[in-house]
Amino acid sequence: MLKIDQLHAAIEGKEILKGFSLEVKPGEVHAIMGPNGSGKSTLASVLAGKEDYEVTSGSVSFNGKDLLEMEPDQRAGEGLFLAFQYPVEIPGVSMVNFLRTAVNAVREYRGQEPLSAGAFLKLMKEKKHMVDLDSDLTKRSVNEGFSGGEKKRNEIFQMAMLDPKLVILDETDSGLDIDALRIVADAVNKLRNEERSFIVITHYQRLLDYIVPDHVHVLHQGKIVKSGGKELALELEEKGYDWLKEGALGV
Amino acid sequence: MAIQTNTGTDIKEAFIRAFAPEAPNGQPIAPAVKESAAAALQALQFPHKKNEAWKYTPVQPLVSKAYIPAEATEPEDISPFLIPELEADVLVYINGKFSSAHSQIQHNKQLCIESLRQLSSQGKAVVEAHFGKLLNKDDIFAALNTAYAKDGTLVYVPKGTVAAAPIHIIQLTLPGQAACSLQHRNLFVVEPLAEAKVVESFYSLSTVPSLRNAGTEIFVGENAGLEYVKLQLEQHTASQIDHTEVSQARHSRFSIFTITLNGDTVRNDLQIHLDGTETETHLMGIYLLSGKQHVDNYTQILHKQPHCYSNELYKGIVADQATAAFSGKIHVFQQAQKTNAFQSNRNILLSKSANAYTRPQLEIYADDVKCSHGATTGKLEEDAMFYLRSRGIPEKQARKMLIHAFAGEVVEQISLEAVRTYLESLIASRYE
Ligand SMILES: Nc1ncnc2c1ncn2[C@@H]1O[C@H](COP(=O)(O)OP(=O)(O)OP(=O)(O)O)[C@@H](O)[C@H]1O
Ligand SMILES: [Mg+2]
Repeated sequence: MLKIDQLHAAIEGKEILKGFSLEVKPGEVHAIMGPNGSGKSTLASVLAGKEDYEVTSGSVSFNGKDLLEMEPDQRAGEGLFLAFQYPVEIPGVSMVNFLRTAVNAVREYRGQEPLSAGAFLKLMKEKKHMVDLDSDLTKRSVNEGFSGGEKKRNEIFQMAMLDPKLVILDETDSGLDIDALRIVADAVNKLRNEERSFIVITHYQRLLDYIVPDHVHVLHQGKIVKSGGKELALELEEKGYDWLKEGALGV
Repeated sequence: MAIQTNTGTDIKEAFIRAFAPEAPNGQPIAPAVKESAAAALQALQFPHKKNEAWKYTPVQPLVSKAYIPAEATEPEDISPFLIPELEADVLVYINGKFSSAHSQIQHNKQLCIESLRQLSSQGKAVVEAHFGKLLNKDDIFAALNTAYAKDGTLVYVPKGTVAAAPIHIIQLTLPGQAACSLQHRNLFVVEPLAEAKVVESFYSLSTVPSLRNAGTEIFVGENAGLEYVKLQLEQHTASQIDHTEVSQARHSRFSIFTITLNGDTVRNDLQIHLDGTETETHLMGIYLLSGKQHVDNYTQILHKQPHCYSNELYKGIVADQATAAFSGKIHVFQQAQKTNAFQSNRNILLSKSANAYTRPQLEIYADDVKCSHGATTGKLEEDAMFYLRSRGIPEKQARKMLIHAFAGEVVEQISLEAVRTYLESLIASRYE
């Protein structure tokens, strides 16, 4: 599904990703952990197509296509979805208008008919229920005045609306209380299937109790320094990252 | 076609002649006022480069063109210039001249809505009482307008009358043989406890340059209300110098929307006198500029009395090599305690060679006031853009959504739904 090979990426002349490789197969859940500033969000942004980042070398193929060649909206059409670490507030753009435009844009990309007003509202109601999103929030401007937790849940709501193939969750659990965390995890688990894959970026093993990963990777200074099964997350929680940092330096 | 340019000392003389082919005397509108304005004109000069008020707009290129007065051409079909769904009394002016054939005044039976050339006896009395009382006498363009403008609109709303329908003034510039000069003059008088809404839209079909020297005087009486929407939608050949001056009596409410979507050089001089206590004023503007357009909004609000509220918001999107200038003067007189005055100017630059200048000027002589101003100039929010696109929304559409949202803060305050819808569609089609 996704194959990242020796990816190097820089921002403002500073190299952040330094040979990152990862393969994600359909239906798999990969967790990426790593200290602050190790490049986790950079990876997510590069995959989603943020222009500020310059890919200096390496390749990314997504369902057999060259992901790096595509515009951000094409990537979404192809089925990539990024739940942002810091969702953006957009005053003056209503949630409903935003979602309808987005849903119909990806549908058009995928060769599907646009949803009728009725069908759209029905879909919205169903997915809103799924993430237990307050009804009033969809009447407001995108993320405007949403609490931290509401913003994160709104990301998951959008994920559910857009029917993606590969989801990247960038610290969607940070700042959530245990109830909200469960809701987010339940939503993700409901969407988990043979086809759909997830990359879960997190600092906390706690999330991985709910969304059980197939693989756990540790990112340090722009590349993966250790990979393992779900037990690696537990080990990291106990020991921190220092033992890996030293190991990494020794490589 | 080559556009001629005047040079040297004859510039002023030639310019005045282009706008004033006839002597001011013998005209039906306030002859004494007109004659004294014509006399004053002798001593007035074009604003100099060093004149602070004209810092951002060079006058010379505008006034040194050789203009000839625009002819009143055969009326055309005016339906493309109507605002869909706007049930209004419509006044049409073609090259500055009232066209009764295209105008329809049927809703507001109790109001006096007339062309200045065809005043009723009641209209004449209103004009005699108000004409030239307000408009800046020290400004050469305003004086020229007072002295020589021959036509325009009188809207008189008698005491206690609420206008049954909005009034829509259409100013149409049709092609001429050479660069043409136009003038019009409006007088809106809203008596105590009366209310009205006026929309004035400008279009041009001309491929040669034109310069319109416009003047509007507005009197809003005690506890009266007026909303005035100005839609400057002319082609890139049309320049305009506008003077609008307003006097508000106590407890009155006044909103003005200055929307500039087109034009060559546009200078809007807006001055509002808060002559009574507890007034409310909204000064709103949108400008969407491209090419080499140059738009200068020069606004002044004079808080002369206590307990008045004014709120000013101008927002612009500037592309290509276009230039936007905004000056906002808030003058709070010593006795104007408890003044609330807010001002904000926000610009988005869509290209590296686009320019936006903001100049707030707060002159506050009272001590118990709340005044604030803010200005921002930036690019279209890149983070917002990326967020929308990451949800599958193509770039063009995402940009359109953000521009719609940006302008929406002003547009949504226009009370006439048909005008809002019209404007939204104009803005959207601009970024197709
Ligand atoms: N716009 C930028 N300009 C310069 N450096 C940047 C920019 N954005 C990020 N960086 C740097 O890139 C590095 C990686 O940042 P990134 O956000 O990818 O880390 P992260 O692993 O997501 O960290 P966190 O766990 O705190 O979210 C950091 O050193 C950061 O300072
Ligand atoms: Mg991060």
